[in-house]
Amino acid sequence: MTRYVIIGAGIAGTTAAEEIRKRDETGEIVLIGEEEHTLYSRVLLPHYIKSKIPREKCFLKKETWYAEKQIEYLRGERVKEIDTKNKHVVLLKAGREIPYDKLLITTGGEPRGVEENPRGVSYLQTLDDADHLLQLLAEVAGNKEARAVVYGGGFIACEYLNIFKHFGLSTTCFFRGPWFWSRVLDEESGRLITETIEKNGVIVLSETTLKGVLGEQELAEIQTTRGEVRASILGVGVGLERDLSWITDAGIDIGSGVMTNAFLETNAPDVYSAGDIVEFEDAVTGKPMMGGNWTNALMQGRAVGKTMAGERTEYRLVTSYATNVFGLEIIFVGDTRRESSDEVVVRGERSSGYVVQLFLSKNRLIGATLIGGNADRMTIIKLIDQQIDLGLWREKLSNPGLSLKEIN
Amino acid sequence: MKIKVKVDPDLCIGAASCVTIAPETFQLNDENLAVVLDHGEEMGGRVYEREMEVTAEEYEMILLGAQSCPTLAIFIFDEAGEQVFPEA
Repeated sequence: MTRYVIIGAGIAGTTAAEEIRKRDETGEIVLIGEEEHTLYSRVLLPHYIKSKIPREKCFLKKETWYAEKQIEYLRGERVKEIDTKNKHVVLLKAGREIPYDKLLITTGGEPRGVEENPRGVSYLQTLDDADHLLQLLAEVAGNKEARAVVYGGGFIACEYLNIFKHFGLSTTCFFRGPWFWSRVLDEESGRLITETIEKNGVIVLSETTLKGVLGEQELAEIQTTRGEVRASILGVGVGLERDLSWITDAGIDIGSGVMTNAFLETNAPDVYSAGDIVEFEDAVTGKPMMGGNWTNALMQGRAVGKTMAGERTEYRLVTSYATNVFGLEIIFVGDTRRESSDEVVVRGERSSGYVVQLFLSKNRLIGATLIGGNADRMTIIKLIDQQIDLGLWREKLSNPGLSLKEIN
Repeated sequence: MKIKVKVDPDLCIGAASCVTIAPETFQLNDENLAVVLDHGEEMGGRVYEREMEVTAEEYEMILLGAQSCPTLAIFIFDEAGEQVFPEA
């Protein structure tokens, strides 16, 4: 009988457990998760906060599901140590050892925090975070003096902006770069986002960093490099931190995340990784890649679950992530890191309301960003997936008159 | 088997996991929301719900597509009109 241990009970880990059980009826599966809840969708949290759905609709697994699938679910627990020689993990709270034959690491990351956290400072990752934000919002309901501040220029910042607008709060948004996602987006794309946010009544402070959070018991004011901003609620969305120290201590290779090959296998025998914490070899481009979105985590959970149960499966997906801020579409496809590409082609300009960036490496498309529309999304996914040589089209690519659909 | 597949455009955020898994059944419209196709065909336009005849294998992929949706925006009904996913 095989003993499977999965550290991290989010969508990647839980999906892997489900996939293993489909293939191995008798194996012992232990799923260790930090939260007390059953699996829920973090993507649904903004819907829940805006009352689009009731809280219970966020849950993807019932209380009874784990027992039905004979998955031992250890909640509110963490692993402090992995022993890859003797093949066991050590639980942080219970202190006991759990032996494994196959181990999966799906611990994801935690939102990067601010130093001072008086009441009023909000993060948006877990269901508890969402409950907390709803309480804060209820406390300021009807108060015309209430002000919201968003710290960050990425996906979570967009969620906060949409939420604060939904609740009718006057909002200021500040971030370090010249525009949102400044390491990924060009000026046209970036300014299109800034203009959209400003048109919706938000004060935008770019190239601004945090100096301090003031307030004894309750949040009162945010100090920035461009002055003080009064605040009742501060929404923090400045990226994810991954705790890798206890993993590297076990002799498992790390880079920005836990390093694996395209089969999500680490350098340690019978140790696998998936979800937000993994830095995997992308089967499409051959480059190391971080996923960081729901679809990625779910599909990796499926692939690695199969592999762990004996059906070795390569993970291959052109990942894409979509959100919107005040109705403006924001879509990232594939590998959008500037350091991965040798050329970035920009199509369109912000006055047209639709700007696309194409990230090329050796004349092949590896990633793209689409701001303000989705017309080229499926064509782009195909061009990345098939790694079509764009050499012949290279000169024309920046010409919006050339439809990407013509390339085949 | 005959099924009805429905997308709730209010819940859909255009994550497109369904399109990745079952492109013959799901595609995105101009608003970046998923629409339902019948074996790649869009008879009667780009609609949010559609009845179709599928094989067991096709059904499995459509179900996987629905299960992969991070906002549970996809609903599947059997011939009798009973909701089979998400389980009530």
